[in-house]
Amino acid sequence: MNNPSDVNSFIFNAEIDSNYLHSLYGDDYVYLHEVFATVLNDYESLTDNIEFNYSSGNLNALKAAVHKIKPVFGFVGMTAVQQECQHFEDLCGTVASPEILNRDFEALKNKMFQSKLVIEEEMKKLEIFNSQSA
Amino acid sequence: MIISCIIVEDLQVAANYLTNCCEKSGSVEVKGHFSNVPDALSFLNNHTVDLIFLDVEMPGANGFELLDQIAFSPKVILTTSKTEYAYNAFQYNVSDYLMKPFTYQRFVEALQKIQPSKETISTNSASDHIYIKTDGKLIRLNNDAILYIESMGDYVKFVTNDNKKYITHNTIKNLEEKVSKDHFLKVHRSYIVNLHKIDDMRENLLFIKGNEIPVSKANKADVFRRLNIV
Repeated sequence: MNNPSDVNSFIFNAEIDSNYLHSLYGDDYVYLHEVFATVLNDYESLTDNIEFNYSSGNLNALKAAVHKIKPVFGFVGMTAVQQECQHFEDLCGTVASPEILNRDFEALKNKMFQSKLVIEEEMKKLEIFNSQSA
Repeated sequence: MIISCIIVEDLQVAANYLTNCCEKSGSVEVKGHFSNVPDALSFLNNHTVDLIFLDVEMPGANGFELLDQIAFSPKVILTTSKTEYAYNAFQYNVSDYLMKPFTYQRFVEALQKIQPSKETISTNSASDHIYIKTDGKLIRLNNDAILYIESMGDYVKFVTNDNKKYITHNTIKNLEEKVSKDHFLKVHRSYIVNLHKIDDMRENLLFIKGNEIPVSKANKADVFRRLNIV
């Protein structure tokens, strides 16, 4: 997944597809830092919305909330998490109520929590990288 | 040519990225970014744009509800990954889909699809006929022979009084500017009708030789103005 030779000297977390990020932003690490910051800024409201709709048992709203956060992971190169969101969205279309998805939901929730830590870490690394490159 | 656009998108990172792509292209001017349909509609009630980048799933009203309420027909590029909107997209003359996140190259390809296809029709608004390019040849259609013109995505269908149908690569928006204003009027984002051929009108429908044509709320007042009501 990672291919540092393609992206100068910045080494991304193994959860991040650096080649995919490069296809979106090229070598613009300043802009990339902005992207990570914007994503973190909205992250909590997006995940809160997912939790709220799961708790309230609204399957369609839950599906829409997961659909909404899905591309966020693409923007930060976490394409595997993006696919997991798609998988969960698909599951929402196959069941009658959210409780049936309990195990899948907990897995997704945990994944989103871990992903936030990765994004935070990468944003800090980018900040340092950009200040050293300036 | 500079294309004016707005971005209707509630995901901030996506809106920023799209804005960045527009600036990078040098050919698209972003007139505004709106994170919900009411705010976008409020802007579009006072301004026109060539293009809308439109997310479909937003809190409250969805993107197609915006298109229902505006009084003109801009080009539309959807920024969604849901193929279940394909039917609506066809109805609303959507030019392309961009699945988020998309590369700049993919963005450029979408822009290329919205360039007007002026080479497929030859006319001037004072003429009593138009020429359309279909099946590899130019065909002359007299204004009086045309019943109505219907959008089919990137194509339009001319229906004539001998019940023939001619399909050509063009858009209602482009044709609206080119056909004779004396004969034709856009009554819906997907229809231009020959005013001289209308048999009757009932509520939001026009009837032309048995064909039912919808009239949009936005265009209804224009229709009434142009009909010779005594």
